[in-house]
Amino acid sequence: MAEIKQRSLEEVKALSIEDAGEIIRQAGIVGAGGGGFPTYFKYKSPLPHLLVNATESEPGYWGDKLLHKEYLEEFLQLFDAMKTVFGFEQISMCVHKKDREWFADYAEHADENVFDMRYVPDTYALGEEKTLVKHATDTRVPRFLDTPDGMRRPGMPPDVGKLVNNTESLLNVYKALFLGKPLTTKFFTVYGEEVDTKVYEVPIGASVTEVLGIAGLDVENSGHLTILDGGPYLHDMVIEELGKGDAYVRRMTNSLFVIPEGSQGKEYASIETECPEEGVVSLVGEVSGVNIPLGGGLLKPATPLISEGDEVEYEQKIGEPVDEGFSVGVWASMDGEISSIENGIVAISGGAIPQEEAAAEAEPTMAGGAQPRGEAEPFQEAGSAG
Amino acid sequence: MAYVITEACIGTKNTACIGACPVDCIYDADDQFIINPEECIDCSMCMPQCPVEAIYPGDEVPEDQQGYVTKAAEFDYSTVAPGVELN
Repeated sequence: MAEIKQRSLEEVKALSIEDAGEIIRQAGIVGAGGGGFPTYFKYKSPLPHLLVNATESEPGYWGDKLLHKEYLEEFLQLFDAMKTVFGFEQISMCVHKKDREWFADYAEHADENVFDMRYVPDTYALGEEKTLVKHATDTRVPRFLDTPDGMRRPGMPPDVGKLVNNTESLLNVYKALFLGKPLTTKFFTVYGEEVDTKVYEVPIGASVTEVLGIAGLDVENSGHLTILDGGPYLHDMVIEELGKGDAYVRRMTNSLFVIPEGSQGKEYASIETECPEEGVVSLVGEVSGVNIPLGGGLLKPATPLISEGDEVEYEQKIGEPVDEGFSVGVWASMDGEISSIENGIVAISGGAIPQEEAAAEAEPTMAGGAQPRGEAEPFQEAGSAG
Repeated sequence: MAYVITEACIGTKNTACIGACPVDCIYDADDQFIINPEECIDCSMCMPQCPVEAIYPGDEVPEDQQGYVTKAAEFDYSTVAPGVELN
């Protein structure tokens, strides 16, 4: 099995599809845009065209735009490597027309042999993959189609040779393939009422309340505020009254959005935020505890490699993926002591929220009872049909 | 370009689309559900939910279903509330 270790561009290019996929699986990478679909599965079969989804669409978000700014060289190397490793004929950076200037550096580096730029209408509002394919290419994903085994299912981008991946997911692929670093953090925007807009890199499993306290909210006296994990359109309501109960940062958390208790996210659809001047602020090593899910959502729980009372280090592997179904490696997002392993959640040192609440958070529901967002659902059906 | 609910909804009126819509732009037009094109944000999340495949992107509505594009454009949404998911 290919090891997760530091590699040069040439060494990455020499990886087989299987080895690169296994590194991505072991590194624990799932769709960071919100779907949470295991990234390794997307890259199992070669497809001609990779669409890089840089159209962060929820109003007020800055995370993906900042990542593209801060990691330009890394993305360029990754595109180069991915063409070789996964055999893409074409890689396209898909950005909103309104962000043309922001992505000018990419346009400058665009090269027919490596990647091109696609500017999509700003009205494209949610980042749904099929909509991106429609706007960025001349191809339409079929509404529905019949499978060889007699099933009928909604179409999805691979049906027309397109693979769509989110900015942060791809950065995590870079980190795994080039730096040998597993997934331990999540980038997201904190914004809304009574808080300055910030973009943080936060250890997975950190307490939402603790993060908001670091962001400057008086969490003890803010029961009039509700916290959404997501933006105005798509979100899970994770804390109804700040200070009562808690939630933890997930692998799919793209924002903590602060609104007055009793209001609706979509009332803020026209919100505009300023890009935080300080860029991305890392909270690695800055939180008191984490609750890390071994599975959840589409993922079968990984097998714990640690026991209660063990001391672990940041980026130490704590869960081995199982072979059945979708499963990914799980890694410690902070130094500390394993304080509990219950209900598929590993708590490290002073885990900030009770286990039963953490378990309840592992399978969040959508606002309005909608399906899990993003790419997860159609791929899940494809997986089970195949 | 808003999504459009077509003839297959009539007699079915499954509410899965309503549950998927993040902006609550699907209304009850009595015989069918109907998408308010002024509110639809073109996200496509409703489309795969429909068990009778009644929902099309606005620019892919079949020729014989074009009447539903007009119906959605001309419907008076001020008189009805957004639909409620039941299933």
